[in-house]
Amino acid sequence: MLHSRVSFSGLPLFQPILKTRLENTYKMQPDEGCKFDAGRVQRVLEGALASALGTTVYSPQGSAPLAQSLAELLQSQAKEVVPPRYKLVCNVLLGQQGQQSLLVASRALWDPESDSFASATFSNASLFAVATVHGVYFE
Amino acid sequence: MDDFQSGEETSFVVDEVSSIIKEAIESAIGGNAYQHSKVNQWTTSVVEQTLSQLTKLGKPFKYIVTCVIMQKNGAGLHTASSCFWDNSSDGTCTVRWENKTMYCIVSAFGLAI
Repeated sequence: MLHSRVSFSGLPLFQPILKTRLENTYKMQPDEGCKFDAGRVQRVLEGALASALGTTVYSPQGSAPLAQSLAELLQSQAKEVVPPRYKLVCNVLLGQQGQQSLLVASRALWDPESDSFASATFSNASLFAVATVHGVYFE
Repeated sequence: MDDFQSGEETSFVVDEVSSIIKEAIESAIGGNAYQHSKVNQWTTSVVEQTLSQLTKLGKPFKYIVTCVIMQKNGAGLHTASSCFWDNSSDGTCTVRWENKTMYCIVSAFGLAI
């Protein structure tokens, strides 16, 4: 089904962009052995946090972009170890080490057989970081 | 050849979700001061209430709800999140709330199935 338009005035006409429509694959569950491996993702997160934050000192201006870049970095690293057809949600919490207490909780509504999450923490003398990655299978 | 779309039923509506989250926070920790022994219970109730209200919307979504409660002590905190999903159908909503003794940040992510 081709669309094409002709212009008589000589002005440029942009052809409409055809959107590709994918067919249903009717796949409800991930393949055997292709599930979200929480242990592996946790190790990847711990390694990435330690190498990225090793000796960083907390600074109010610098930490905001640092948290954002860390979230993107962790997401790209997690994408490499996670099987296909998984959507990822990656959360990073970066805070100053003080005398305060903090609690992070999360709940999800999903399919427990195919979906899971992994989390890792890191702390040094001036800051602490908590990273969580949730993997959800896309039917 | 028209594409039949369900329209309003299958997209993440940020305003609706944000009001659900605010209600849940108010009812769980509304007028309370920070208490270390109760924080666990508070985070659990905020998250579970949010999740149950979201399910009642009846949309074809999987949800992830995260809650952070921090005591006000002069320390700084930054949160960031990055997601790998379908931009046209999935969405997120984050609500920041505080009172004199603590901060509460709740994020809800909705992923279409």
